[in-house]
Amino acid sequence: MSRIALLLLFRRTLLAIPILLCVSALVFVILRLLPADPVAMSLPPGASAADMEKLRQAFGLDRPLPVQYVIWLGKLATGDLGVSIYFRRSVAELIATALPATLELVAVGLALGVALGVAGGLAMFAWRGRAGEQALDLGAAGLMAIPEFLWAILLILLFGVAWPVMPFIGRLSPDIALPAPLTGFLLLDSLARLRLDVFASALAHLALPAVALAIGVAPLVMRVLRSSLLDVIQEDYVTQARLRGIPERTVVVRHALRNAALPTISLIGVQAGFMFGGTVLVEMIFAYPGLGNLMVDAVRNHDLPVIQAVGLVYCVLVLGINAAVDVLYLAVNPRLRTPA
Amino acid sequence: MDVLEARGLEVSFGAAKVLRDVSFTLRRGRVLGLVGESGAGKSMLGRVIARNLPEGFAVTGGALSFLGQDLVTIADEPRRQLLGDKIAFIPQEPLTALNPVMTVGRQFDEHLARLGAPRAGRRERAIAALAELRLRDPASLLERYPFQLSGGMCQRVLIAMAFASGPALIVADEPTTALDVSTQAHIVQIVRALQRDHGTTLLFITHDLRLASHVCDDILVLYAGEVVERGPAREVCAAPRHPYTRALLAANPPLDGAARRLVTLPDTMPGLAAFASLPGCRFAPRCPVKDPACAAATPPLRDIAPGRAVRCTEACLTGAAAIVDAAPPRPPAPPPGETVLALETVSKHYPGERDWLGRRRPGVDAVKPLDLTVRAGEFVGVVGESGSGKSTLAKLVMGLEAATGGRIAVDGKDVTVNDPAARRVRLGALQMVFQDPQSALNPRRPVSRLITQAMEAGDGRWSEAERVARARALLEETGLSPDLLGRYPSQLSGGQKQRVNIARALCVTPRLLVADEIVSGLDVSVQAQILNLLLDLRRERGIGLVFISHDLAVVRYLCDRVVVMRHGEVVESGDTDTVFAAPRHPYTRALLAAVPPEDPDRPWPPEPGPAA
Repeated sequence: MSRIALLLLFRRTLLAIPILLCVSALVFVILRLLPADPVAMSLPPGASAADMEKLRQAFGLDRPLPVQYVIWLGKLATGDLGVSIYFRRSVAELIATALPATLELVAVGLALGVALGVAGGLAMFAWRGRAGEQALDLGAAGLMAIPEFLWAILLILLFGVAWPVMPFIGRLSPDIALPAPLTGFLLLDSLARLRLDVFASALAHLALPAVALAIGVAPLVMRVLRSSLLDVIQEDYVTQARLRGIPERTVVVRHALRNAALPTISLIGVQAGFMFGGTVLVEMIFAYPGLGNLMVDAVRNHDLPVIQAVGLVYCVLVLGINAAVDVLYLAVNPRLRTPA
Repeated sequence: MDVLEARGLEVSFGAAKVLRDVSFTLRRGRVLGLVGESGAGKSMLGRVIARNLPEGFAVTGGALSFLGQDLVTIADEPRRQLLGDKIAFIPQEPLTALNPVMTVGRQFDEHLARLGAPRAGRRERAIAALAELRLRDPASLLERYPFQLSGGMCQRVLIAMAFASGPALIVADEPTTALDVSTQAHIVQIVRALQRDHGTTLLFITHDLRLASHVCDDILVLYAGEVVERGPAREVCAAPRHPYTRALLAANPPLDGAARRLVTLPDTMPGLAAFASLPGCRFAPRCPVKDPACAAATPPLRDIAPGRAVRCTEACLTGAAAIVDAAPPRPPAPPPGETVLALETVSKHYPGERDWLGRRRPGVDAVKPLDLTVRAGEFVGVVGESGSGKSTLAKLVMGLEAATGGRIAVDGKDVTVNDPAARRVRLGALQMVFQDPQSALNPRRPVSRLITQAMEAGDGRWSEAERVARARALLEETGLSPDLLGRYPSQLSGGQKQRVNIARALCVTPRLLVADEIVSGLDVSVQAQILNLLLDLRRERGIGLVFISHDLAVVRYLCDRVVVMRHGEVVESGDTDTVFAAPRHPYTRALLAAVPPEDPDRPWPPEPGPAA
């Protein structure tokens, strides 16, 4: 199993290289074709033409486009993502602080969404043909009908303003000093340093944005899981397990769920990819210092190096999720790893 | 001691009584066969035992008791405790009855754990149980997944699991139907040996009366939810009394003896919806010897000899004796005409698929170089087990697959490369009838358009009136009522669908039909209708046939010549009667020996072959 998984990951990585090259070229060219001048944005209004030209040369923006791209690629290969025009800081440094924040948010949001979705799917299946199923189905339709950014605003209005029990700005309360980062993941760092106050505060700050993201995932997972379960429960091996006197709960969890999980896993993979897109708006609404906010700031300020780098990071994340789903699939479905 | 006893058991779906007045006792260590065609209700009993009735079905009367416990009223939890432990089940489709994502070992272990076996020793117990079934290398088998095993191996694993608890009763519902004949013989042998050694009681559900006569001690013949005949297996098969039992046996072509024309019953068994309008004998509408009284009231199941009972009046039983004797001999084959199809050293090699790392897996020689000629009016049977390449041969003949070697000629014209010109030659002379009548018919087209589909092709312009007229003629020729013209496939029975398929193939007046397992999905009585139809078509049209089948008895009845294939190779061929009477190749002999003989006193199955 592990050998096949490694081979698969190796193949995935090889395939990722041309994809990343295409994406980077696309982002690079489109950004250069836009009528935006990062130099003009980063200088005070009274700057002279000579000053602007000087800065342009300093950033290499006067060179031909292909040359700029090759230079950028060359530096990228050495891990140098350039310097932010707006923040005047290394892009790598900016991403290093923002990426763990976003990953943490997505991980908590996805875990919550999948947990709710699986629980809902199982409940819908257990209550099939009864009122509970109808109620859950209706609830899922309601959740799906409202987009996640609107949910974010609704959650703030409900639990931040009308009934102010949850924080909704940033990653941490302002009165708590940010501990020196180990991994950048606040939940992990605070546990490692035994700072339970930081952990509690970080978790509380994650709650509302994570719920907003989870709402986008849970109803879909719930519906797909339920319909797969309804298919699988008709299978001969489920009947045969019942005929062996296996208790119904075990039949569902051990025999039906494992087979019904297969389509659900591919759905979760797709949803995880979408979720990174969803973080952009949700992070803005919650002033959450992640990749999404960084991207929005960069776009607002025509900060080309940051836009390029964040775009590429998103691409790597989605490819990584795909590879992870493939490996998971391999683990759950023996047909893929064993020759017939 | 009675293990299972039914008293007036009744299962209903709404007002329709799906099972009516079913009574029997099954004594310890005996094998009871429940025999009937599809729709007879034979699987219902197993479902009552497992409380696994389909939606809307319910037990509405009578009692079914297992070792004195009432299975109808027993609560869910104690019933679950019985299943798998005291009552075990052997399923119909072994390949799908095991969970595909769990190893055989995990599933066996789960079963032993459910039986309360301590963790230590479970693995050894599983290995011992598999070894008892003559499965090779049981330890490594435990590590494998069901999809890596053949159907026969899966079935043996499931049988080992069924016997693991030493159950008092085993319910086997068509346990060999999905398997090849030689595998069927193995499985029957194993089940009988285990059943005898363990003194297990067995309820054997099957559509195959001849198989039941060799497997079972006693038989219940079911028709439309009623027991029509009951008695010792050998007696029922050697001297059937009820008109239906007689007809069922007479519809099943034998592998030896004189070739008589098969007896067919009109129509098919009534479905659920028709039960309410049949107050009397449910067989009466198809019965050749019915009298007016039959339609008025159901005759009781009455004892006619010790251990034998029949649901029929004395007058009818007397008349029924004539059914089989009246069958005329099978019509002789007409002299064959000119050669229609000629294959010269035709072969098909499938290259292995590339795996996801791009490496090519080894390929398969699906058909090794073979020669075959078929003349007009000649019926040629191609027999073999699954994987023998017989279906690939049909596809090569029809141009659905390209041959990788050799030459195919139709009417002397080379059609090896299926270009448009070759296609015209081919489709003018050959037509194919497919195995599954259901999926071969577009469900959204009425019969009239389905069977005249060929008139849409080419440049021939046909008016609507011409098409309908042609459709009428084809329906008549295939023994269907013109009422069916406007019906859709979902409104037809299985036998009617296969006739429609044949009618469609006849539309272009081909001289040769290629038929791939066209009766294997049909009940025996419907199969007999189709086989006789094919013989009639030859007499009237001089049509030829390439008949691909795993059923040797059917091929013997229908075909003048036979080709026996194994692993893509022709191992024996020749005149059917000669080959079947004196098979020369050991594989042909093994195939013939694997078929349950007509005479219930002939010992069958044959001695076991080597373990798989």
